[in-house]
Amino acid sequence: MNVEMRAICKAFGANVVLKNVDFSLRGGEICALLGENGAGKSTLMNILGGVLPADQGQILIDGKPVVFQNPAESLGAGIAFIHQELNLINDLPVYENMFIGRELKQRNGLLDSRRMIQETQAVFDRLGVTLDPKAMVRDLDASYKQIVEISRAMMMNASILIMDEPTSSLTGPEIARVFEMMRALKDQGVGIVFISHKLKEVMEICDRYTILRDGCMVAEGKVSDVATDDLARMMVGHDIRTTALQRKRDTRREILRVEKLTDHHNYFDVSFSVHAGEVLGITGLLGDGRSELFLSIFGAGTDYTGQVYFEGRPVRMRSTTQALEMGIGYLPRNRKENAILKDMNILENGSIVTWPRIARFGFINRLLQEKQFSAQVKGLRIKLERPTDPIINLSGGNQQKVVLAKWLSSNPKLLILDNPTQGVDVGAKEEIYDIILDLADEGVAIVVLSSEAQEVIRVCDRALVMYHGVIQGEVSGEAMTEHNIMRLATGASLS
Amino acid sequence: MDATVPVKRQSFLTWFRTMWGSRPLFSTFIALLVMIVLQTLALGFNYPSFGAWLGAWLQNWINILRNNAGIGIISLGMTFVIISGGIELAVGSTLVAVGAVIMMLIDTGPMGILQNMGITGVPAYAIAILLALVLGTLLGEFTGLLITRGNLPPFIATLGTMKIFRSVTQHFMQGYSPVVPRGFLSIASFNIAGQLLMPIIYWIILAVVLHIVFTRTTFGRQVIAVGSNERATRLSGVNVNTIKRRVYALTGLLVSIAAVVQVARIGAMDYANAGSGYEMDAISAVIVGGTSMAGGRGTIMGTVLGTLIIAVMNNLLNLMGVPPFLREAFKGVIVIGAVLLQRKEKTS
Repeated sequence: MNVEMRAICKAFGANVVLKNVDFSLRGGEICALLGENGAGKSTLMNILGGVLPADQGQILIDGKPVVFQNPAESLGAGIAFIHQELNLINDLPVYENMFIGRELKQRNGLLDSRRMIQETQAVFDRLGVTLDPKAMVRDLDASYKQIVEISRAMMMNASILIMDEPTSSLTGPEIARVFEMMRALKDQGVGIVFISHKLKEVMEICDRYTILRDGCMVAEGKVSDVATDDLARMMVGHDIRTTALQRKRDTRREILRVEKLTDHHNYFDVSFSVHAGEVLGITGLLGDGRSELFLSIFGAGTDYTGQVYFEGRPVRMRSTTQALEMGIGYLPRNRKENAILKDMNILENGSIVTWPRIARFGFINRLLQEKQFSAQVKGLRIKLERPTDPIINLSGGNQQKVVLAKWLSSNPKLLILDNPTQGVDVGAKEEIYDIILDLADEGVAIVVLSSEAQEVIRVCDRALVMYHGVIQGEVSGEAMTEHNIMRLATGASLS
Repeated sequence: MDATVPVKRQSFLTWFRTMWGSRPLFSTFIALLVMIVLQTLALGFNYPSFGAWLGAWLQNWINILRNNAGIGIISLGMTFVIISGGIELAVGSTLVAVGAVIMMLIDTGPMGILQNMGITGVPAYAIAILLALVLGTLLGEFTGLLITRGNLPPFIATLGTMKIFRSVTQHFMQGYSPVVPRGFLSIASFNIAGQLLMPIIYWIILAVVLHIVFTRTTFGRQVIAVGSNERATRLSGVNVNTIKRRVYALTGLLVSIAAVVQVARIGAMDYANAGSGYEMDAISAVIVGGTSMAGGRGTIMGTVLGTLIIAVMNNLLNLMGVPPFLREAFKGVIVIGAVLLQRKEKTS
């Protein structure tokens, strides 16, 4: 099945999101749809998936024009949209999820589990998936959830699959598993749109690419004709650096020292130290315990044995308030769940940390609040219309900068950044890296937690690699390579 | 000038529509206006003169406000609780418990505590009121501790305290009817221009103060933050447990103020029934006022309007002669209708 979108235009009020965008996809190919946050990728795919109507333009399926009023019509035409947030019900088994909304029933009206299991198994067999249809979705890892959702689309005879950042929450081996399935589908003639920020994956799995920038299609072509840097440049519109910076820093003053920290569950016998002006990377695979470790240090995690020293004094954070007052900042992972106050405006999201400091007799000093925030907006180059707009109006990268802004305005001595560029596009990523390096130059001790080896190499002076809650090794300088980090992260040693 | 009139009318309609869609408070306010118009019509115009009509209309309003001042004050606290993502079912029971303690303290009968200590008159009232406020705050603090330290869901914790506070009060007050001295009654029945306005004045002052607390202070904004995303708030260095405890303590304080007003207004208390159903009335007022049960969204102004909508509706039903048993049904309709209305605004 071939899909063609011609001269698609879409505007939300005065905000023009898509300008005459063409997009095409043939059966049996994987096409990457690339662009920074806010470039219009999701809007374009939402139009194809029947979620949004186009203002102008045409969609052709095998040469015939079609109009989708809603997602069901689009699905009926064979187009399935796998959203970033998966649509599975954790408390039901796999086979019931496969049939949700159109359950098979026996003549007496009860569910026909046997037939649903059989049909699920048949689909899995056809797609080469080894998975028990009776398994609970809760017990599956993220890649299998992804696979269940894809299988469900295939069961409904989808021949075009739109995958919105399918790998953003997956680990290395899980990504490989999903890719394997994507290749199998491609061989069966299914066309796949792959939306991702990870250019390396695009190079690995995709045949063609289409790049959007500010609502316009700026480039398309074969992936085999370009390199990662070319894609990044076309997305951003100018050159970006991908190599590490060499810095010389004064890192004599110790800020944080951790000795033999153990919570007997997530991390074990962890010891390390961070100095002023240093960027320390902590990396490993998902679930290696690094987030839990730093949540504990920040006073929001599990109880531990061992000792934490801050600026040479033994400390134990009883609350995040105490950590904040001591000069520790913490940017959590999963912005939506852990950092965004969705009912509050941009200004409040960007200043909540410093309210007690700028308050007099409990009243927030609004002038000071605005002054302080606008300084951060300027420094971090946050793009916004009015500070009093809701936070959810901003793109992912700008939301992340607002979260960063609230911590920067507290002037931390130690800044812990957990996955600081999660869901952030290439251009904003670079800006965040620059901010991190500038802060380090000003003498802030910085800890970057990340599972992206490239990111760690890019910004960190040295990195600790964790494996199952234990520090498996340390890399720095020349030895800080993707290869070495991956070896340590999977439990091997360097020598 | 003539040319601008039709343009202005058209822009009024668009203005109205955008306000209706974007400002939850606006639709609440319009709903109240509609209620007031209906109520005015129900009151009728069958009076000898305009002055007489106005007098009757005002008198009716003063009665409405005074009768609802207690629940209005409690609803203010409930707003904080619901915005923080919690619920407080024990407000009625707390009212009874605090009311009982006040009456025991100021009793002029043989068992009056302060009287037996030789303290009477204004000093006794001051001590009684002070202790009542402290007790209400402590009871709220206790609830807050159950929720934060005990890690109990607010519904469960306050369902428990609701039963405990009332049953203990009833047990200890069995067969004991304290005598409330006349002097104490003046707290509520102090005359201004021949009208009993004090409860209304307390309500207005508290509403204004709490509106300012809610919009301007660190505490007020942190309450919204907690209701909006508790985890993100904690990870922003805010002591979420302290905020929650303070929210319940504040509600306890407001309930005890309502208890003082109620004792002073009525001069007696029925320990089995006083304040029962107040929790649901307060929750209704908060919801009708546009506050989200999920937390994070709401206003003090909205709650005041919500309380008034329900109060005016009650008055309207009364004036129209609707049988008392049916009135609760109308209250239910208004709560459901208000939420449906707010939902529609969000999706459109």
